[in-house]
Formats: sequence, C-alpha cells, structure tokens
Amino acid sequence: MIKKIEASLSEKFILIFLMLLGITTLGIYIVLKNQCLFVKNFDPKNITFEKPNNIAILNAPCGNVIIELYPNISPNGVERFKKLIISNAYEDIAFHRVIENKLVQAGDLEFGKKGSLDYGKIGAGKSELGTIKSETDNRFNYVRGSVGLARTFKNDTEDSQFFIILQDEPLFEGEYTPVGKVLYGLEVLEKIKYQRNSEYILRPDFINSFKMLN
Amino acid sequence: MNSIRAILLLIFFITPLKANTIYNLIKIPNLEIYEINTQNKLKYFYAERPFRLGTQKNIVCSNPDKKDLEIKYKTIHKNLSRYSYNYLKKINLKYIVMCENLSISELYTAGIPDNIMKTLILDIKFNEDYFERVIHHEVFHIIHLQHKEVFNEEEWIKFNNSKFKYAECSTCTKNIGLDKYDKTKGFFTEYSKSTASEDMAEVYSHMIFLKKNDINQIRKLDPILNNKISYIESKIKQIDTSFIF
Repeated sequence: MIKKIEASLSEKFILIFLMLLGITTLGIYIVLKNQCLFVKNFDPKNITFEKPNNIAILNAPCGNVIIELYPNISPNGVERFKKLIISNAYEDIAFHRVIENKLVQAGDLEFGKKGSLDYGKIGAGKSELGTIKSETDNRFNYVRGSVGLARTFKNDTEDSQFFIILQDEPLFEGEYTPVGKVLYGLEVLEKIKYQRNSEYILRPDFINSFKMLN
Repeated sequence: MNSIRAILLLIFFITPLKANTIYNLIKIPNLEIYEINTQNKLKYFYAERPFRLGTQKNIVCSNPDKKDLEIKYKTIHKNLSRYSYNYLKKINLKYIVMCENLSISELYTAGIPDNIMKTLILDIKFNEDYFERVIHHEVFHIIHLQHKEVFNEEEWIKFNNSKFKYAECSTCTKNIGLDKYDKTKGFFTEYSKSTASEDMAEVYSHMIFLKKNDINQIRKLDPILNNKISYIESKIKQIDTSFIF
C-alpha cells in the first residue's frame, strides 16, 4: 500500500517562493532584454510643426528622434546635414561614440557602416563631399538635445559626423557648429548602447533611417 | 600586425572613460570653470588639482590658492579684455588656464601657448613685477605660432647690429631679466636678447603695455627698436586690420 505523503507547510512555502522567484527572474529578464520597453515612440504624423520643412526624423533602435534644424543659425552646416539626410547617407551608420548621459555621436560614413565597420578607424571617416567651414559666431545655447557637427581639433573640418548632447554643455558654444535641436525622443537616445569604460563602442547601435519630414 | 592591432584595441577599450568636457576640449586634466561668460568669449579655467601634460608628462602645474586666483583673475581678465572676439578668433585663442608653478622639464615658465588647442596656460605667480606685461608676451607667442608665415625671423635678425647673435634657444641663456633697459639699444629687456621670437614677444608686449607717448619716445631715440616696432605693427595689421595698439 502506497502511503500518500503530504507536503509540510514549510515545503509548501519553499515551493511558492521558488515559483515566485522564477516568475520574477523571467519578468526581470524580459524587461532587461527589451531596453525599449518604457520608451515612448513619437509618430511625427501626429504632431503639428511650425516649420515642417526643417524637421528631420532619425529612427534608432528604440524609436524616433524628431529634430528641428536651424538653417538661420548655421546655413552651410544645415545644408550639408540636410543633403546627407536626403541622400539616405546616414542609414545603417553606427552611433560609434556614446558617453552615458552626455552625448551620442554618429555619421562616420566611411568606417561606421553596418556590415563594414572598421573599429581601428571609426570616427576618422569622411563623406565624399569634403569638409565645410565652421559656423560658430552666432549665439546658440548648447542645452540638452542640441545637435552639432563634429570636427577634428581644427576648425573648418566639419563633414558628415554629428553629435547630440544629453546634458547642457555651455562650453560647446562657439566651439562646434550647431545644426538643430531634438524636439521629441531624447529618451530614445538615452537607450543607445554605451560602454562605461570607453567612449567608442564595440558592436554599436545603428541609425535605422534618417529622413526629412517633407 | 593583427595581434598588435588587437592589443591596441584592448588597451583602448579598457582605458577608463574621462567624460569631462574641458578635458575633451583642450586635453588638460583636473580643470574647472572659473568664468566663461566674458564679452570677448574667452573662457577661463583653473587647476583644481595639479596636472601633468605632454607625451613625457614634462609640463607640470599646481592648483592655485583661491585668494590668489581671485586677485590674479581680475588682472588677467582686465588685460585680455583689450582683445576683441574677432582678434582672438584670428589668433586662435579661446581658453585661459590659470595655475601655479608652471614648469616645462623642471624649468619654470610664465606661460605655455598652444594655438592648436586655442589655449594659453598662465602661471599666476610668475614674476609679480611684470605679470601684466608677461600676459601680452605670451599672447604674442600664440599669435606667432598661429601665423608663422607672417613673422620672418631672418628679416627680424637684420634689424639688429650685424655683430649681435641670439642664443640657440630661450632657455639656453642667462639673459632672462625682464627689467626694461633705460638705454634700450635695440632691445627692451635682457630677455629680448635670448631668441628672435622672444625679442618679438618683448617688443609686442611693450607696445601693448607702455603708453603711446613712451613708445613714440623710444622710436625717436632707438632706430633699431623703431624698425622692430614698425615691423610688429605692420604684421599685426596684416592679421587684423582693425587692431589698435
């Protein structure tokens, strides 16, 4: 005769505890795995813009970043930026330089393209359009969300690389050519992959698309 | 080759991240903002802690005393305020770093100009007697570095007596006195005799610092200095036509 063994109270507690632990672990794994879970994705079609011709939409892994460009402040810089956006040059280009809560940088068309990343040279690449002159004389407050053109240590070396700052940077005024400001979607940029010990990223995130609204 | 590349990449990726804006801009560590809202857009930093620079780490400077800094900043700001934003842009000077006991390879110096980084490091304790004039002397070095093609040292040397020879370098001479000669004889100070570049910087700094009448008087009495003053005046005009001494 088989005797039915009843689980003791403490054994029942352990079982429930283990089940809860499993569910919690699974939940945390799902949340951590989906880095974009709580990031709002803005649809530009649902937003009315004052100057729709100056609106650009960058699509990153966690959604859209909606940027207003400022041709009045940096006409040549914005012209170059727009030209590259319209030609889809930024598609599949890496966010190769990311500093947590500080800035994201992308736009190395030569060494930052998905599938042909060159870690040894990334950040030093160019477009085929040549460099343009820095436009740093007009007043511009480099507040969180500002977009500027990157350059080498020398002025007048702006090309295709750009950065977006995630905190106010008053020292950038007069230093870098400003081209615009993020109107919506800064949280998307905060989710771009970064490394704590380096500005340059191994297996970086990429720009899915970058287009003008009109 | 690949293994070297891999090692370099590894070093690169394990180097701690310095997410400091000032460091990113001018590659000098341990600095803090002192004043950045100035009329000519010069940005003033100070050493919060001592720093070392250069590939050999042979440039060293210490953090200044806060009270000294407060006093010297006013002097530096007053002197540099005479330069307009446009002039500073043309000579490529934007950042002033204030620190104490500045030295290169253990030789104390008043300032270190770096036109590439648009930076002038100033020792706020260097030679109290001539501190203000020395600021302009160092500004000239920035100008000279930025516009090397404008200033011809061969041409400059010809202004001197044919028997005169400068030293090999500014630190390989004992002629380091900064007192202005009563009888100039082609040179404002003993230090002017060190190198052509230092001589130019001394002439420039005196042109900025002395009163117009004093300069005119020197021009009348000293034909060599008259030529040197005219030279600096014309070359600075070449860089910025609107600049007035």
